[in-house]
Amino acid sequence: MDKELTVMMLTWEFPPRVVGGISTHVYNLSRSLAKNGVKVYVVTCDFPGAPQHEVVDRVEVFRTDSSKSPSPDFVTWVYLMNMNMQMEAAMLVKRLDGRVDIFHAHDWLVANAGIGLKHVFRKPLIATFHSTQVGRNGAQYMNERTIHETEYWLTYEAWRVICCSNYMVSHARWAFGLPEDKLVMIPNGVNVQEYAECKNAGLSRFRERFALPEEKIVLFVGRLVYEKGVHVLVKALPKILEGVNVKIVIVGNGYMEEKLLNLVKEMGLAHKVIFTGFVDNETLRNLHRCADVCVVPSLFEPFGIVALEAMAAESPLVISDTGGLSEIAEHDITGVKVYPDNPDSLAWGITRVLLDEDYANQLKNNAYKKVQENHDWDKISQRTKDVYETVLEEYYKSFWT
Amino acid sequence: MHVVIFCWEFPPRRVGQLADYVRELAAQLVKNKVETYVVTSHDYLMGQSEELEGVEIYRVVNPVRAHIGVLTWVLTLNQEVERAAASIYYDTDKRIDLIDVQDWHFIPAAVTLKKAFGLPFIYSVESLEDHRSHGANSLFNVAIKSIEQLGMCEAERIVVKSEWMRDEVIKFYKVSDDMVKVIQPGSSAWISDVLETYISVAEGTKWIKN
Repeated sequence: MDKELTVMMLTWEFPPRVVGGISTHVYNLSRSLAKNGVKVYVVTCDFPGAPQHEVVDRVEVFRTDSSKSPSPDFVTWVYLMNMNMQMEAAMLVKRLDGRVDIFHAHDWLVANAGIGLKHVFRKPLIATFHSTQVGRNGAQYMNERTIHETEYWLTYEAWRVICCSNYMVSHARWAFGLPEDKLVMIPNGVNVQEYAECKNAGLSRFRERFALPEEKIVLFVGRLVYEKGVHVLVKALPKILEGVNVKIVIVGNGYMEEKLLNLVKEMGLAHKVIFTGFVDNETLRNLHRCADVCVVPSLFEPFGIVALEAMAAESPLVISDTGGLSEIAEHDITGVKVYPDNPDSLAWGITRVLLDEDYANQLKNNAYKKVQENHDWDKISQRTKDVYETVLEEYYKSFWT
Repeated sequence: MHVVIFCWEFPPRRVGQLADYVRELAAQLVKNKVETYVVTSHDYLMGQSEELEGVEIYRVVNPVRAHIGVLTWVLTLNQEVERAAASIYYDTDKRIDLIDVQDWHFIPAAVTLKKAFGLPFIYSVESLEDHRSHGANSLFNVAIKSIEQLGMCEAERIVVKSEWMRDEVIKFYKVSDDMVKVIQPGSSAWISDVLETYISVAEGTKWIKN
């Protein structure tokens, strides 16, 4: 293996296309791998205004036609998008004279393309599972079962399945019946420098856009979907207001937005909650820096990258004690853990942080140290590269070579 | 010459008349010294492959069992078709000359193999979505039409079974007249027309593969 290790990443989102956490994950992982001497090609969906081909910090990004023709449902769209992605990726591999060592697929959203490319070019496939359908909202209905089985299919075809937390490793074993030696745990990372760079002036002017000077800011960042538990935070609000004057700032989009707006109105607390929708990175970082507490009230969370981001932004953290999220912070040391799906417990945690400044400072300082030590992308990409090399050693002994 | 035929039905799996047509086609090709492989689908007749009357038959099973409809069923089956076709390609030392895709179902696999290996394919049209759905334009029909459209654009040659179908293909998909070849099954010239088309496609695309 004296030649450069070459990986083709398949992902349905890559900046500037950001839907969930996969986009940021693949962006940082790819750039760090490139820094560590891996040649990375990213094949992803197109996005208005983004070029079809560009080089981002030595990572070659190719954006393919994401099937804009109408589709009857989301799953069919995903499959059609994969059809296009696979064709264009195949063309790219042919142009590279087949010089791709590994295909790396992120979630079921690119399962078809990854599996097809594996067999056509006879190269190993690695899959990272950022979440599962069973965990998101179950697999009872037809479309959900199709997604669940597509996920299973991807784990079946993958040479290794990477999960971002110990919780997800055991969840994937249970959900797909996977053997232990197929699973690898590599935690998620966060880019600490990005937060350090935005210590700009004018933060108090910025803050005025969201809250009154006497209001403490409680920040939620995430998709407005059931499993993220935003509704639990809203339900905790009356109890929080008994002890502290706060404003809840909710950042993100999702199918629950209207439901949440109605809930807030019904409670007569519309003046205490702001829905910002999706915001750009700079606004988000500034919000993190203004926030008096960051809350991650998820009911199901494979990892919880928003918690890492809060820690990197030096904002005190309150999280629900569930899934991979639970592994990120230690109670009373790097954050406050509360019972999931329990508004009273959540209100208690938030109030505790807001009423005790010394405690809050201690939490955020410890948390900041922890992300620097454990969630540095450089170390994470090195571990990913180790997985590639192990798989390639097995591959060279297989009948495919 | 080495030819791989893709068809979603092949005996004993019969959905319509295409199954028996393809069986006869494969048998005639073997008689004319063409190495013939068929990749098709079956729910339980598996095993790696079966040889029947000199034809090597690969039956693949859908890797995803729960489906929304025929379209999602087809789209996941395509990766298995690719796997089988790639196996044939590597096992024959890459000596495949062309793929004959019977109807729209496995067009995606054929296009990927074309992009990956420079393998040309013929799109043999049995029927069009516009006829099957009586011109319906639901999102489901439009999605299937987009796959037919892809086949029309990427195929080296479009083979139809009647003059009428040639006009329909030209009308719906705006392909040029010289792309479409009419080969009538049952006519005395049937198999020689097929062979002639295969040879002209294989000869005409040699430069792409090398």
